[in-house]
Amino acid sequence: MDKGNVLIVDDDEIYLYLMKRILKGLSNGMEIHTSTDGEQAIDFIKKCNAEKKLAPKIILLDVNMPFLDGWGFLEEFKKLKINFEDKIHIYLVTSSELPVDKKRAKEYKELNGYIVKPISEEKLSGMLKEVFKSHP
Amino acid sequence: MWRSFFKILALLYFPLLVLTIILGLYQKKEKFSSLEQVEKRGVSYKKNFLFDLCNSLVYSTQYWSGVAYPVEFDPKGKHSKFIDPYVKFINGFADYDQFRFIDLNGVEFLRYQRLGDNKMTVGELQDKSSRDYVLKALSLKKGQIYLSSIDLNKENGVYERPYKPVLRGVAPIFNVLGKKIGIVVINFRMSRFLNLLKSQITNSNFYLVDADFNIITSNTTSLDLGYKINNDRKGASEKYFLNINGLKAKEQGSFVEKGSLWTYESLSLENILIAAGENYNINPDVISDSNWTIVHEVYPKLLKEKLGHIYKDFILFNCFAIIALIIIAFTLVSSKNREEKFYVELQNKNNSLIKNKERLQVTNSKIKEMNNRLKVRNNQLKDFNYLVSHNLRAPVTSMSIIIDMIKKEEDSDKIKSLLPKLIKVSESVSELTEDIRNYVAILDENEITIESINLRDQIALIKNEFPETLLGSFKVILELDAWESISFSKFYLKSVIQNLLSNAIKYRRDGVDSHVIFQTRIENNEKVLYIKDNGTGINLERHSANMFKLYKRFHRNVSGKGMGLFIVKSQLEALNAQITVESKEGEGTLFKIKF
Repeated sequence: MDKGNVLIVDDDEIYLYLMKRILKGLSNGMEIHTSTDGEQAIDFIKKCNAEKKLAPKIILLDVNMPFLDGWGFLEEFKKLKINFEDKIHIYLVTSSELPVDKKRAKEYKELNGYIVKPISEEKLSGMLKEVFKSHP
Repeated sequence: MWRSFFKILALLYFPLLVLTIILGLYQKKEKFSSLEQVEKRGVSYKKNFLFDLCNSLVYSTQYWSGVAYPVEFDPKGKHSKFIDPYVKFINGFADYDQFRFIDLNGVEFLRYQRLGDNKMTVGELQDKSSRDYVLKALSLKKGQIYLSSIDLNKENGVYERPYKPVLRGVAPIFNVLGKKIGIVVINFRMSRFLNLLKSQITNSNFYLVDADFNIITSNTTSLDLGYKINNDRKGASEKYFLNINGLKAKEQGSFVEKGSLWTYESLSLENILIAAGENYNINPDVISDSNWTIVHEVYPKLLKEKLGHIYKDFILFNCFAIIALIIIAFTLVSSKNREEKFYVELQNKNNSLIKNKERLQVTNSKIKEMNNRLKVRNNQLKDFNYLVSHNLRAPVTSMSIIIDMIKKEEDSDKIKSLLPKLIKVSESVSELTEDIRNYVAILDENEITIESINLRDQIALIKNEFPETLLGSFKVILELDAWESISFSKFYLKSVIQNLLSNAIKYRRDGVDSHVIFQTRIENNEKVLYIKDNGTGINLERHSANMFKLYKRFHRNVSGKGMGLFIVKSQLEALNAQITVESKEGEGTLFKIKF
């Protein structure tokens, strides 16, 4: 699997730990970053851009978070106006199965998918393969 | 209804009645005046007739006074040839009843009298020296004529039968030497004249009365000069005396008395030649004590007949008017009743509609309130669902992954490294269970006790729980002017104030004298509590949607679970109160609670 950064945004520290362990097992050399809220995630992206570092290719975004939630992140992300070298694939990873959230998610063209927790190792593997295959 | 009916009828009829009475009176007056004129003309005609009659009598009498009789005039003897032509002449005058010469001693020396309608024949000479008219006439001078009153003829002191009304014309006679030799007395038959007078020009009663108002002749009596025969005026079946006061007033005129219209005109025989004597060379000097009055009476029945049609017209018109007005009044009253009934029905319907509208409004209000409560409850259930599904799902998921890892992992060290994570997940589940229990307690509003709470006392108690307020570094200002007491759950109100005061202290701003103001107001008849601080404030543009949501935190450097405002909102909504927020970063936050 090709190189590429992954950013996991979730306020659940156990979840972040577990996801990191799974993703590490699935890829070699892939950098895995974590943020506990939307605000941190935006700051990380801004920092990558400022320091000319590789922006995350995949963002696994939780919805319910303190300070700035998933929807807030998306709004702020739209405002960034940064020309990324590679397309950033954002997946909304949430435990919400509410139709209102699914409908709202469709309104964001920045989103590549809506994944309901728990996300399994197989699902993550398939998602990574698809992203890196179509966007080497 | 009938009261209105009679009221309208009276209102309509009264002016009409007044008008018809005025018109009726005017018509009556006109008719009366017209009748009066007709009667006056009738009286005047008869007076003229009497004038002419008396004139002819006077001149007829005067003729004999102008004849030059022989000396020692003896008409029955040596001067019979002298008198014969005159006798033929006398015979031609049908109105001559008697023609007599009476000497200066009052004894007749010639007497011609007419029996029935036959020729005049010589009558038995009588001594008339005791008769009034003879006594008066013997003193007459040349040129004087005496006219007696109309009287019934008496022969030898007894009224001649059949009764014969006569008027005597008397004049002195002279011989060729101019010596007065006696008087000529002519009894004029008055029946014909009186009958002519009685002939009706109008239908009214006619009376010719003397100065004492004795009836000489009338169409109402069977006898002329009846009073001469029936001295007992009261007992007589026929009236021969006119007891009418109005006749005494003037010489002529008209008046109403005893229900009759009286029209009269007086005439004196002494004046009769003034107007008529112009045609004669010598105007005789008439002496008479007769004063007559010609009277016409439109008696009550006739008057009623004459004026009756006015009353009939009046009654007829009024009858028709009343019938018409009854119909109009009835129509008006019916219409008015229908209108009133309609208005009453309309009013009732309107009242009913108003009541229904009020009921509907109450029902709508209840439905609206219920709808709001359902919305609130729905949101609460959504929150509860979220609490359970999301916040419980996350640790369960984590737990599931850890267990999978433990199953797959053979390295015991690595397995051990996972155990603290598992413990942490377990703790978070316990914590979440406690939060769920608290939230369910709020949702179960049946257990809430509502009581009257004094806000001032409540804030004073809560304030003491915070060291910052006790030490004076954070001021709590009370402006409870509008109200202080409220019916609410004491537990919830305490929780709400605790959370909001805690937040105000937690998020106070550096460099300012931090404070929170509790202010009460009445808005739209509802109690409102404002809690305003001068803290850090919050970016509502970013966070307004999540302000009261569970586990939402907005300040990185301040500890907290993001439970406070969620609990506040849940507790307020459980008792139908509402909370809203206004905030500006760097200035402060204002919470508004509408009870």
